[in-house]
Amino acid sequence: MNEFADKLLKIFSNSSKAADDGAIELTDKKKLLKVVERIRKNFDILFMLTVVDKPPNFELNYVFSKYESKDILILRTLIKHEESVDSITNLFPSADWEEREAYDLFGIKFDGHPNLKRILLPEDWPGHPLRKDFVVTDEIKNWTGLDLKF
Amino acid sequence: MEGKGIELNVGPVHPATHGVLKLVADIEGDTVKNAKVEIGFLHRGKEKIAELRYFNSYFPIVDKLDYVGALNWEILWASTVEKAMNLEINDRVKYIRAVMAEIQRIMSHLVYIGSFGQDLGNLTFFIWALRERELLMDIVEEISGGRLAPMYNRVGGVFYDFTDGIADKINAAISKIEEKVKKEYKAMTYGNSLFIMRSKGIGFMSQKVIKENGVTGPNMRASGIKRDLRKDEPYLVYDKVDFEIITENDSDVYARFMVRVREILESIKIIRQLLKDMPRGDTKISAPWIMKVPAGYTLVRHEMSKGEGAMFLVTDGGLKPYRLKIRSPSFYSLQALPLVLEGCKVADAFVITASMDPVMGEVDR
Repeated sequence: MNEFADKLLKIFSNSSKAADDGAIELTDKKKLLKVVERIRKNFDILFMLTVVDKPPNFELNYVFSKYESKDILILRTLIKHEESVDSITNLFPSADWEEREAYDLFGIKFDGHPNLKRILLPEDWPGHPLRKDFVVTDEIKNWTGLDLKF
Repeated sequence: MEGKGIELNVGPVHPATHGVLKLVADIEGDTVKNAKVEIGFLHRGKEKIAELRYFNSYFPIVDKLDYVGALNWEILWASTVEKAMNLEINDRVKYIRAVMAEIQRIMSHLVYIGSFGQDLGNLTFFIWALRERELLMDIVEEISGGRLAPMYNRVGGVFYDFTDGIADKINAAISKIEEKVKKEYKAMTYGNSLFIMRSKGIGFMSQKVIKENGVTGPNMRASGIKRDLRKDEPYLVYDKVDFEIITENDSDVYARFMVRVREILESIKIIRQLLKDMPRGDTKISAPWIMKVPAGYTLVRHEMSKGEGAMFLVTDGGLKPYRLKIRSPSFYSLQALPLVLEGCKVADAFVITASMDPVMGEVDR
């Protein structure tokens, strides 16, 4: 693990801990914006946001990177399915489409996102397909109005 | 809408948007006041499909992510699974993959150059670029049996070894392309005053826009940021070859075009070096076709022809991925597109869109 991650763990020792794969695990999701604000001082972009559905929780993996070096930082936090989470678009504008995608495919609500609507799927699509409990219902089968075989 | 402006819908099916990209532009007079980008028309649920397939059976799906740069994505997927399994691959495989990746990069850039010419209204150029691409297509076909979606890699290696005498054929093909790029392409594009008039001084993408939107690859290098994962975080055998990171400083459409042209020449340099020191050995190690991958998180990123592509693989120790997230570089380039289009002329808007090199297959996934 690199220096910056160690420093971050020391500052937020009450709400974070180191994971096995070198990521930082945030145990208190209310601290998210504070931690990300600290990360913003050292990293340029949200490289990717990976949401993993682990019922009954969603696991959010924020991957941050910077342009001047090959450093990478993974911030991991868990939220309940029905909970919402703070948007980090104010700090990292590159999170805009990533958060929209997470909303689209998982149904996670990001508080404070300027334009939270579906991005890959049509506006009126029923359901969130990347959830583990997603099933193809009659509503989805008949959504196009065509006689499709599933 | 206020004032005298109109809202113009371009796409999703339009020859100038390269696939199914939709632009909604507010136009006043001849100027684009602001533009919105709509994507998702080619969404095929590739990340969901990953959860339903064995690791090796996912290669045909990866092939259709970026359909002009399939081999790059194949290599990334193979590397991701190999890293998750802690597999060490043979040196020869690393060399073969690097050669194929560079061949694919040249092909992808040639398609870019060709379709760019088409957007400027110069169809001749499209035909020329595809003619040169065909030389490499034939080589990929001879090695792998496939053309656009070769299905050449597997976990632990590649399917077939290089055929006899292929090195000479590759050398002949890249020498021919080098000559064409340096002479004919110069006369037709980057040395041509008409081309320069159409492309210089439009579509500025500042370093601020790039850093805020996570743009990577040639689009970023055209604004003077010197960064290339092949150099900064060497994978395969890129630490053993000598090459330059191509940068331009003007950050306009012409600069983005020039970065690609010069990268073709750089890739040719890399291929020549790789072919010279290619070691002998097996092209695959014995890994079973259907296998369990230990539980954990794996993040691998490579330099694609369009920027930094990455795969975040979450495994639970089973036969199939638990979750796969694909970072597509074009996705981020398109995120920055509205900011670049702001204030440009309508006629330039298509040239600027084309200069970002979006491939909708990898944007929509």
